[in-house]
Amino acid sequence: MNLMDMSITSLQEQYMEMRDDLKELVLELLNHAVWAPNHRNREPWRFIYITGGEKPDFLNQKAPAHLVITMRNDSNTLKQNEDLAAVFCLIQNLTLLAWDKQLGVRVSFYEWMFDRNYCRKLGVPDKERIVAVLDLGFYSVIPEAPFKPSAALKWSFL
Amino acid sequence: MSLESLIRERRTVRKFNNLPVSEALVKSLLQKSEQLCPHDGESQWRYVYVGTDEARERLSGYISEKVLESRIARLTLSKVIESYQRRFLKIPAYLIAIADTDHDPIKNEEIYGTICRILQNFQLLSWEQQLGMAWITEPIIQNELFYKRIGLKEGERFVGMLEIGYFDKSPKARARTTADRYWTDSVYQ
Repeated sequence: MNLMDMSITSLQEQYMEMRDDLKELVLELLNHAVWAPNHRNREPWRFIYITGGEKPDFLNQKAPAHLVITMRNDSNTLKQNEDLAAVFCLIQNLTLLAWDKQLGVRVSFYEWMFDRNYCRKLGVPDKERIVAVLDLGFYSVIPEAPFKPSAALKWSFL
Repeated sequence: MSLESLIRERRTVRKFNNLPVSEALVKSLLQKSEQLCPHDGESQWRYVYVGTDEARERLSGYISEKVLESRIARLTLSKVIESYQRRFLKIPAYLIAIADTDHDPIKNEEIYGTICRILQNFQLLSWEQQLGMAWITEPIIQNELFYKRIGLKEGERFVGMLEIGYFDKSPKARARTTADRYWTDSVYQ
């Protein structure tokens, strides 16, 4: 299917289900997703996979599995923003690929992501930061999205 | 083309041919890009488009302005700057993306993340139409003077500038590290 013909709706947590091959599929899709554009091929990303039993209570979004996406810190703000952009491009690649396989990806942000103590608890070393937590689960029902007319772009000329 | 191939085969394109780029096409691809990234509420980002000779001329001037501030650069780099300017004038279209900032770090991250994800959709959808681009973030355009010229307001941040055009030759790929090398299973205790 062409990307042009694809449509994506927001998923609700009650539709997200576990399946034995979830981890395997995520890894397979990530191998495509790493083709995201990134400056000087720095590949700033890293992934921590978390499932049910090992889940800390501060990870309070309901989902069968989570993928914590981290990146290396850089003291140079420009580089830091470039790397952050690259990681979000990777996240979008994964979201599109997963949707095609009926795997839902929800991007979550938490206040504790900015707290080193919590990051350490998840095994994130101090030279890295958490960009987002992806909540993962298969969906058997695609919730019907209320029709929303496409919003006008905020557009101007130089 | 399958989604996998589209994602793996997309390249950053820096050398464009002379075919003109349609503003209407860019807008429709961006609209689709926003739909493929569902978000709540009003969009907190905006676009500035450059697609006419006059606008290209202005942009080219803005880009070299910072370098030309230095007298030494004016004397020693004038040839380099000229060739730079010629290149800028030949690029068919530019799209500058600007996002709102927010005092709440989570909200701030979310806005920046959403516009970056939209721009990735845009790069993929464009590639499907044989339209290439490069996402530019060089220091030459990331400075206060350039921000002022493009009309960046307080409470806004520059996300990137895309150089857009059709191309004759697709650049070679740079190998990627497989995801398992960056993968850890939870170590939470």
